[in-house]
Amino acid sequence: MDFYVLSYSAINGIVVGAMLGGIALGLSLIFGVLRIVNFAHGSFLMLAMYIAFWMQHLAGIDPYLSVLIAAPLMFGIGFFVQAYIIAPLIKRERALVVEPISALLLTAGVYIVVDNLALMSFGPNVRSVTSAIESTTVMLGEYPLNTFRLVAAFAALAMALLVSLWLARTDMGRAIRATALNRDAAAMSGINVPFVYNVTFGLGCAMVAVMGCLIAPFIPLTPNVGLSFGIKSFIVVVLGGIGSITGSLLGGVVIGLFESVAAQFVATPTAAIFSLGLFIVILLVRPQGLMGRK
Amino acid sequence: MMNKAKSVAARYGTGLMQAVAAVMLTCGSGAALAQSAVKMGCVLPLSGGSASVGNQTKAGVTAAVEQINQAGGIKALGGAKLEAIFGDSQSKADIGVAETERLINREKVSVLCGAFNSAVTFPATEVAERNKTPWIVVGSVKDEITERGYKYTFRINNKATYDAREQIDAIDMLGKETGKQAKRVALFYEGGDWGRSHAANIRKLAAERKLDVVLDEPAPPGQVDFTSQLLKIRASKPDALIVALYTPDQLLFSRQLAEQRLDLPFGLHSAGGGTEDPTFYAAVPAKQVAYYFVQEDWQIDFLDNKSEPLLLNIEKRVRGILGHGMSAYAAQGVSVAYVVQDVLERAKTTDREAIRKALAATDITGGPALFPGYQRIKFDENGQNTFSHGAISQNINGKRRTIWPVDNRGADVKPVWPVPTWSKR
Repeated sequence: MDFYVLSYSAINGIVVGAMLGGIALGLSLIFGVLRIVNFAHGSFLMLAMYIAFWMQHLAGIDPYLSVLIAAPLMFGIGFFVQAYIIAPLIKRERALVVEPISALLLTAGVYIVVDNLALMSFGPNVRSVTSAIESTTVMLGEYPLNTFRLVAAFAALAMALLVSLWLARTDMGRAIRATALNRDAAAMSGINVPFVYNVTFGLGCAMVAVMGCLIAPFIPLTPNVGLSFGIKSFIVVVLGGIGSITGSLLGGVVIGLFESVAAQFVATPTAAIFSLGLFIVILLVRPQGLMGRK
Repeated sequence: MMNKAKSVAARYGTGLMQAVAAVMLTCGSGAALAQSAVKMGCVLPLSGGSASVGNQTKAGVTAAVEQINQAGGIKALGGAKLEAIFGDSQSKADIGVAETERLINREKVSVLCGAFNSAVTFPATEVAERNKTPWIVVGSVKDEITERGYKYTFRINNKATYDAREQIDAIDMLGKETGKQAKRVALFYEGGDWGRSHAANIRKLAAERKLDVVLDEPAPPGQVDFTSQLLKIRASKPDALIVALYTPDQLLFSRQLAEQRLDLPFGLHSAGGGTEDPTFYAAVPAKQVAYYFVQEDWQIDFLDNKSEPLLLNIEKRVRGILGHGMSAYAAQGVSVAYVVQDVLERAKTTDREAIRKALAATDITGGPALFPGYQRIKFDENGQNTFSHGAISQNINGKRRTIWPVDNRGADVKPVWPVPTWSKR
């Protein structure tokens, strides 16, 4: 095997992995705080991509600028979904079940509704978003790398850093962390738990919206584009450790790197099988994930 | 004794009355039939991964059915209207099968068509066969669909072997025309039924024609990055690349191929799929798909040479539904509707068995049923139209022009072979 090919695929794997990690960040946050498996995560990514598409199509706004619109908008949508769709379920189940499994089914319902609404409203056609940025490749030494992917990967890192800081330093961040640790104790110390949940869910959606706008320039857009990212995100989050911000990025990089390099030795579908095998092995050895706490 | 005779008379009398009633009912339903619609079921991927394709075929069927009904419906059935009832397979086999059962048992359709994805058509035709309902295959190319000894399955379009043969024939022909033969081909295809069967056929033909297959790589659907596969393709140094990918994958792959400026001396040869989808060309910059060779079931510049009002009318209607003009998928939809019309005119009934017989005896040599570019529709004992063929176009100066078969090539068309390197474009 050629060293150049191998190293290039490794670098590319890291870039793609960081991007996957960035997409999984919001899922991890929601998972960690609300203990809810948000099945609709991929659908929210798809919605953000459509926002970027329509912003450009109707108003000529660059997808990178549409982050400023998509993120608050998706925050609102996430806030709404949590407050009016998921919250009643949590309230009803709180006395009996601590981690509502039915919330998983509920979010699966949200996923089906959102995906099909998108199909009905926007049609099945594949679309693409283009950025005003002309240069599509930069040279990293002798390795050509796609600018858009690189931006998405660095944005994932920056976003992880910002969110960690925010969670550590602000009152709201502390409230979120307290709720994640023990929601009853948090409630007793005067934290408005339902509000914290709404904000967390909204924040998770805003984060996936940022990534949605950033990947829109290079991922073709269809109403079911979220599905492949959604499933990858679950793997990344569980692998990295539920609720861990760094774990999410690390999980993404491990999967991306492994699949990219393995694909040089075997066919890609086989590489995907191996990556799931790796996932199972890691979970057998470390059930809490790479960065998760017991 | 008397009592017995009475009861016999009564029994016969009742029998007679029942018979009369039955005859009257039959006549009544016959009269009702003449005015009511003939139902034709179409299972198509209206959502899911192949949704854009399914909706194009639906538009073709819809436009043709409207046209048939405007022209007086099915004359042999007293002007009965043709009614297309659609079932959404969601591009999934199990759902396609369930929809087929619904159309047969609840909607009581007389004839079925669909279902584009070979993986759906294959099990769905089995259901149709069991229920003795004729099925006209639309779009699916998997060979085995018409090679199982089924009596109720018919296919108008190419089967996979034909697609592969045409691609290799074109590569051969261009080599002979210019004296520059391609020697090494790489194969890259979606890992489902269609892609794998296409690749298997190419492998077989390549071995016969002394072409080296230097890479043979399936791809899982819905990938988010093709870099590692492009690296493998680059490393295998092919003269030509043969691909079979659905629209979203084809789009991402084409973009990344252009960004990496991967030079393929004798070009990229696509077996339909994403590259025969008009929405693909709307979503990708023209420069990135220049010189692409596309094998598809529709001659892309067909309407440039013809001005038949029926076809132009359909083109207009399809444009109205979809927002873009005709495509291979829409053309196949038109074709199947007109074949059904032809069959019903000959069968003179909505009975499924009679329709099957009429279908088997089909021999169409003119009219809108040949819209995809065939010269004739006639089925062999397996139900395969042996006269079907596709056309191969090359994207020259931003316009897709037919280059194969040579008979279908316009006078002003000159294939570009070998294709310019990225640095010279």
